[in-house]
Amino acid sequence: ALTVGSIVVPYGHVIGNEKWRGSEIAQRLQGKVRLAFEDGLGLVDFLLSNRTCILLISEADLVAGDEFKRRLVKFRNASSLRGIVIVEKTLISDQYYLGVQKLVVLELGMVLLPVANQGEASQLIVQLVSFCVREQGRERGANPFVRRQRAGLAEPAALRSVQHIPGVGKAKALLLLRRFGSIHGLCNTPVSELEQVVGQTAAQQIYTF
Amino acid sequence: IPVPGPSLAGNSRVPGEQSPSLCILADSREISSGLEVISCLRAVHGLRVQVCSLGSSDYIVSNRLGVDRLLQSELQSPGNRNKLSQRLQRLQGIFERICVIVETDRVRSGEISRLSQRTQYYDGVLSALVQAGIKILFSSCQEETAALLKDLALLEHRKDAAIQVPTEPEGHRQHILNFYLSIPNLSYGAALNLCHSFGSITAVANSSVPALAAGAQLSRPQAEELHRFLRHDFDLQLLPQPLPAKGK
Repeated sequence: ALTVGSIVVPYGHVIGNEKWRGSEIAQRLQGKVRLAFEDGLGLVDFLLSNRTCILLISEADLVAGDEFKRRLVKFRNASSLRGIVIVEKTLISDQYYLGVQKLVVLELGMVLLPVANQGEASQLIVQLVSFCVREQGRERGANPFVRRQRAGLAEPAALRSVQHIPGVGKAKALLLLRRFGSIHGLCNTPVSELEQVVGQTAAQQIYTF
Repeated sequence: IPVPGPSLAGNSRVPGEQSPSLCILADSREISSGLEVISCLRAVHGLRVQVCSLGSSDYIVSNRLGVDRLLQSELQSPGNRNKLSQRLQRLQGIFERICVIVETDRVRSGEISRLSQRTQYYDGVLSALVQAGIKILFSSCQEETAALLKDLALLEHRKDAAIQVPTEPEGHRQHILNFYLSIPNLSYGAALNLCHSFGSITAVANSSVPALAAGAQLSRPQAEELHRFLRHDFDLQLLPQPLPAKGK
């Protein structure tokens, strides 16, 4: 049997499970993404990249019982791929949604996204693919929700922190930091040395704090 | 004789029994926008909800997990994009894990619930959240949001990440807490842990990275960031605006 791990997804392609050939979702994807079919995908419905795949749960799956749960657990135990579960949340299947969410997101730690029908599912897959392409293309900065490492200056923050010491305002905070360097330095200064900078009362307050 | 504080109640781990000290911190803004969430957490689920000025996230359910409650309409409007991205990026700096609960907007009585067209923009936002590794949960009302928060808190409790310290320091400790809260990228939960685990700010400042990680329940990189901040050598030249010389 062909394992999913051995299939290489070409850049910007989606590989669909053979069983979806000719379906509404496949028809809607064609033209928007480069779609190929493969019959060795096993539990996976669509492969978006070498590490991301989609499992679809239809309204009928939800109503039919627990079979889909076994499929998800089996996938989770066997695969190292990041699985995104797309579930058809309709008026009929709505009552099952909370249970499915608890299983998929909280217990299995996978991603779950609800859609109303196959049309919405295809539209969502197109967007997911576009993000997979960006991820592979090292355009990580393009994602507005990925944190960019900013080396924020510590000086203003340190100044604000020191001002939380009773009796210390901006001017004293500046004097203290200039003289003792850091919060660590300030903490390890004997009261006699503090007195030389801020006077007896404030020095005592800082020391006891 | 030391009297055991309320925090010790959380250490008993009887299987199947919900810990009485399961605790969630809620931001004070939620009093106006999510009152039902807070009352449900207290009344229906019996959780301890401490309302405080978190500033960062809407809820803190464990030492490492911050949760934001977003209305679906907020994810659907492109005008909101910058605000949302700034907020979530900030959250990622503070918490090891973050989760958003997407709550369906309340339909006003008399208003016919129209089948709003799902937009490409909305799918793009969801895709970006998924790719950023942010956990997403969907809720149809405030009661459901409360149930999800409880589930998250329970899960984190099972993973030994629950908030186990007293959440209302008094007197002098309140000042110390405010000092810790002023440290960049330190969560309210971590600040509470510092208050509880260390006798003084000096003890914190003299601690090693592993000791900080253990005492404040922080991840290694976060503990390193805190350690760096405490020992950062102040350089007056690096202040954003040179202060006017005060010649009194």
